[in-house]
Amino acid sequence: MNHSFDRYAGIVFCAIGIAFIIGSRGITASSYGSNVGANVFPMFLGGFLSLMSARLIYETFRRQKQERRKTNLDYKRFGIIFVSAVLYALLLEPVGFVITTFAFLMIGFQTMERGKLWKSAVIAGLFSYGVYYLYVNVLEGSLPGFPAWLGLS
Amino acid sequence: MSTIDYLLNGLSTAMQWQNLVFVFLGVLIGTVVGVLPGIGPMSGVALLIPITASLTSGLSAEEAATSSIILLAGVYYGAMYGGSTTSILLNTPGESSSVVTTLDGYQMAKQGRAGAALAIAAIGSFSAGLISLIGLIFLARPLSAVAIKFGPAEYFSLMVLGLLAISGLAGKSMVKSLMMTAFGLLLATIGIDSVSGVERFTFGLPELYQGLEFLTIAVGLFAVGEVFKTILERDNNDGEIAKINRILPTKQDLKDSAAPIARGSVLGFFIGLLPGAGAILASFFAYVMEKKLSRDPSKFGKGAIEGVAAPESANNAASGGAMIPLLSLGIPSSGTTAILMGAFIMYNVQPGPLLFQDHPQIAWGVIASMFVGNLMLLLLNMPLVKIFAKVIETPAKYLIPLIVVFSVFGVYAVQYSVFDLMLIMACGVIGYVLQKNDFPLAPLVLGLILGPMMENNMRRALTISNGDFMIFLQKPVSLAFLIIGLLWVTIPLVLKLRGKKVLVNEEG
Repeated sequence: MNHSFDRYAGIVFCAIGIAFIIGSRGITASSYGSNVGANVFPMFLGGFLSLMSARLIYETFRRQKQERRKTNLDYKRFGIIFVSAVLYALLLEPVGFVITTFAFLMIGFQTMERGKLWKSAVIAGLFSYGVYYLYVNVLEGSLPGFPAWLGLS
Repeated sequence: MSTIDYLLNGLSTAMQWQNLVFVFLGVLIGTVVGVLPGIGPMSGVALLIPITASLTSGLSAEEAATSSIILLAGVYYGAMYGGSTTSILLNTPGESSSVVTTLDGYQMAKQGRAGAALAIAAIGSFSAGLISLIGLIFLARPLSAVAIKFGPAEYFSLMVLGLLAISGLAGKSMVKSLMMTAFGLLLATIGIDSVSGVERFTFGLPELYQGLEFLTIAVGLFAVGEVFKTILERDNNDGEIAKINRILPTKQDLKDSAAPIARGSVLGFFIGLLPGAGAILASFFAYVMEKKLSRDPSKFGKGAIEGVAAPESANNAASGGAMIPLLSLGIPSSGTTAILMGAFIMYNVQPGPLLFQDHPQIAWGVIASMFVGNLMLLLLNMPLVKIFAKVIETPAKYLIPLIVVFSVFGVYAVQYSVFDLMLIMACGVIGYVLQKNDFPLAPLVLGLILGPMMENNMRRALTISNGDFMIFLQKPVSLAFLIIGLLWVTIPLVLKLRGKKVLVNEEG
């Protein structure tokens, strides 16, 4: 168990709890016909959350330091896929489902394992257009199509 | 109408052709989800909610709800079965409730009895499904008849009990799981308050006015979080996959496993009923019980067929048992049933005592479809077991990016909002970090789903009592629930203080 993480998480959650208490003080206290307003539940829970977090912080100080096992995390691979996933989500509406999905899958496949470009391209292409076709034409759902400047639709 | 009439009605619903297709798809996808490492029943069900929503868009509201829930429940118990395949063939459980199966299952596979182990797991799952179904038929209606008499105070206390029970068993640290529960409940308060109409914690963001969508959070925490974990930790399992020679078990195998299957099913069913316990504890207890009862306990761990039959029956029976509190009380007892409950609510169907009155078609249709689904699983798995074994070899290279695309597509198809897509990415990172540091995620999702109901009941009760909190202690049933909840949390603590090891339920 990672004690410094627990300590920071405890501080963060404690702050969240206190923020909810402060936030709930700004909510109208009472609605008509009831003397229990919208503020009671979050205020109580915010208090509970910060109490529990305080308890967690206390525990991290009390316990002996244990040896930490180091795992080698692949930050580079994660970084590439995470950034491209965020871009994928942001560009989904302006560029359309098929193009962004294809691009994301290509980057994803190649980041996971280099090589076999053609195989990746075929799978990515089939999948991105296949899902789009099935969802939009067969199930009559709605997805952002091709961008207007391509002049396809 | 009597229970039998309702059941027959449900059966006719389940036998409609589109529902048969949905059951089939559900158990098939469920088995695949269970077999594939990296997606468990929780993320599988969460990912499929939007897809079923679009599949059923042409049907009327009630039919759409019935068909979707049928499919999603199929995924749930299908995954329970599929998880055993990897345990037996690869010594890596596909989902956490089949951890115990690896002990004897993999040994059997090494001895060349993989086929028999898989077949017994299928037969055990099937009879467990039947037993839990019978329990469901006889218990669900009486239980909902009792629950319908509950007032808001009783309901509030029942939910407190459910949440405490899950927190008490959910992870290594009870403090952490209580924190996650409170955090989930707090997240549920974001948005416009349904009683008074005031906005809470929205910071003027229009996206937050309708509150955080449970589907977005669940897909982010479980599916995307799991993907990030696989990417970061490179946990590729390159283990040898055991060969399957002969599928049908011998007569001796059947004879040896009959009693363990029966015992495991009954035990699993009752453990599944308890909130917070669930499939993992059920399979573990069943294994321990078989070992205690056996005339020759030393053969366990060396490929005893009883060691596969009992836990596999127990975890399937538990997943059936877990449907009872969900359907009759409206209280999910595990992470996966919490997500199923989210699906019910998305279709504007409130699980709980009124379900059997207001929507008998849905309630009994789902119950009857579980029977059909279990039959299909048996028929599907005996001949196709070799094909499912091939699914294990799906390279992570293709699987991981595809899960991300499915998450994005699924959430976008339901929410049509880029804000929600950003939210799943953020939840993915948060989910990974929290999970890695032993913060359980199931209580968070449960809090998010139960939050609005819990708050409404609390405020209704307080309105009745004119703001006096003593109402929760003055009503005897409510007081009893609160005491049980308190005991549920304190007893493990006391046992821990005495130096006893306490078993926890890690799901997801």
